[in-house]
Amino acid sequence: MNKPLRIALTKGRLEKDTVKLLESLGYDCTQLHEKGRKLILYVPDANLEVVLAKAADVITYVEHGVCDMGVVGKDTLMEMNGKLFELVNLGFGKCKFALATKKDYPFYDGFGVKTIASKYPNVTRNFFESKNMDVDIVKIEGSVELAPLLELADGIVDIVETGTTLKENGLEVVEDIAQISARLIVNTVSLKMRQQEIESFVQKVEGKLNDQKNCM
Amino acid sequence: MRRYDLITPEGTRDYLFDECYAKRETEKKIHSIFKRMGYAELITPGLEFYDVFNLNSRYFPQEELYKLTDNKGRLLVLRPDSTMPIARVVATRLKDAMLPLRLFYNQTVYRFEPSLKGRSDEIVQTGIELLGSSSRMADMEIISAAVSVLSSVGADYSLELGDVGIFRELMHRLNATPAQKEEIRSLIEEKNYPALNDLLDRMGDNKITNALKKLPTLFGGVEVFEKASALFQDARIEMLLDHLKELYLEVCELNQNGRITVDLGLVNKTDYYTGLVMKGYLAGCGEEVLAGGRYDKLLSEFGYDIPAVGMAVNVDAVAGVSAKLEKPQLRIPDVLISAAEGCEAQAIAVAEELRSEGKVVEHALFSDLELVREYARDRKIGKIIFVSEEGMEVDANE
Repeated sequence: MNKPLRIALTKGRLEKDTVKLLESLGYDCTQLHEKGRKLILYVPDANLEVVLAKAADVITYVEHGVCDMGVVGKDTLMEMNGKLFELVNLGFGKCKFALATKKDYPFYDGFGVKTIASKYPNVTRNFFESKNMDVDIVKIEGSVELAPLLELADGIVDIVETGTTLKENGLEVVEDIAQISARLIVNTVSLKMRQQEIESFVQKVEGKLNDQKNCM
Repeated sequence: MRRYDLITPEGTRDYLFDECYAKRETEKKIHSIFKRMGYAELITPGLEFYDVFNLNSRYFPQEELYKLTDNKGRLLVLRPDSTMPIARVVATRLKDAMLPLRLFYNQTVYRFEPSLKGRSDEIVQTGIELLGSSSRMADMEIISAAVSVLSSVGADYSLELGDVGIFRELMHRLNATPAQKEEIRSLIEEKNYPALNDLLDRMGDNKITNALKKLPTLFGGVEVFEKASALFQDARIEMLLDHLKELYLEVCELNQNGRITVDLGLVNKTDYYTGLVMKGYLAGCGEEVLAGGRYDKLLSEFGYDIPAVGMAVNVDAVAGVSAKLEKPQLRIPDVLISAAEGCEAQAIAVAEELRSEGKVVEHALFSDLELVREYARDRKIGKIIFVSEEGMEVDANE
């Protein structure tokens, strides 16, 4: 048997959705269900080695070529901006990047420089650069919604799924920045050196995604 | 307070023993390939005026360059690339030289890489430039040099060919703003099929948008050419495809062990390339180790309008792959000479004699003979010669 293809999955919800997808392709994912504390697992009938990692690390591993493929959210891809191929939009893990402020806050009014709190400073910078707007960006690690409530920031740039957290804290979306979903990424050299294996895997995944779309 | 006196700046490193040896061996091997093809080496300064790199055909983002000023306040950069300085030299001092010119270089290039990514800011590149010919033979010469370099490593390799002319031709006919065109280019480069399709769908359903959608999927073996000509059906593009296909078939014939492929979606942003482009990969390295192509417009930016083609190899990446395949073996000295006090000149004469026979000879610098033996054991030197008033005594060291 050939050297297995190595795929890195983002731990948590994207991992579960990916395992579901692999199972719907008919692969035996026993090891993935009974993983315990192991970080490298094997899907024998697909000759796939599965690595579990945090989202940003998935990109790092794939970029350096120690993993051939990865499943990661578009949010992390936009923040990290790595050099890799983004082959398939997997469709699951849907949410969006949005700019939010306190309800009825006049964000675009006045001439003062605005302060934005975010876990995603690069996404924030790119968004406001595209509007030719100078802003001060404050990086926050935990609940970003706090920043405008405590009046540290005028607004936040964050991931919005249902909007419930925003609403409960008296915040609202001012502007959508980008739609987000999980992506299948591939190392630039792996795609060329192991083209057939990767292409046949990608085709299976795409075929399944199309079937699912048509069923809905 | 000196806080940074014991470390090197981020993105740089010291190369010791095995690593250094692997790097030099790699350079030697590649240079012998270049020299046997008639290429002559040149060295350009590490510091250049910023203007040399501020061209229309290739744009270096400011934040990627190491900048400083000279004593007149003029902006200098540590060279981020060797081809542009070479174009400057050729367009000035070599303007009257007989063409074609065959030049090779082995120089460090400096670029700011994003921090904490494990990348080097300082990379040694070695490469060749063939200036003054637009012939197919010139293209073939560079491709065959690339094949020789890749196959000399001993790892599985793959050389990929493309032609940016096809992409340029399609973009030329597309009705879109420069910003949209740049977005399309970057999506093709990333092979981001879903986003590319979305964007082009919004620009209408016509021959050009359909062709652009398929462009990044057109990579692989000879079948790519059939797919492409069926898709494009255009005389001008057909001509470019034919040229590439001929090159491709000829290289396949020459090449024995590696894989030669085509990718019509090779469209890098920072390229000055105008036609043929290529990239080389080695198993065991996560990024390309070789890149090159034809750049027929670069020299004219320096006021000398001649065509050119060339390629560059990332020496550090190749040396890394070689070192993994075969642990570099530094040569162990054959003999250790220990001189008694007053016999130093005699010891040096003995050493020179042995060196002239091709032996590697070291002098022991201890007066305690036990320390001499210990040092030899540690360095795995098999033979010790003690030189004293009484003469020479040879001792096999276990």
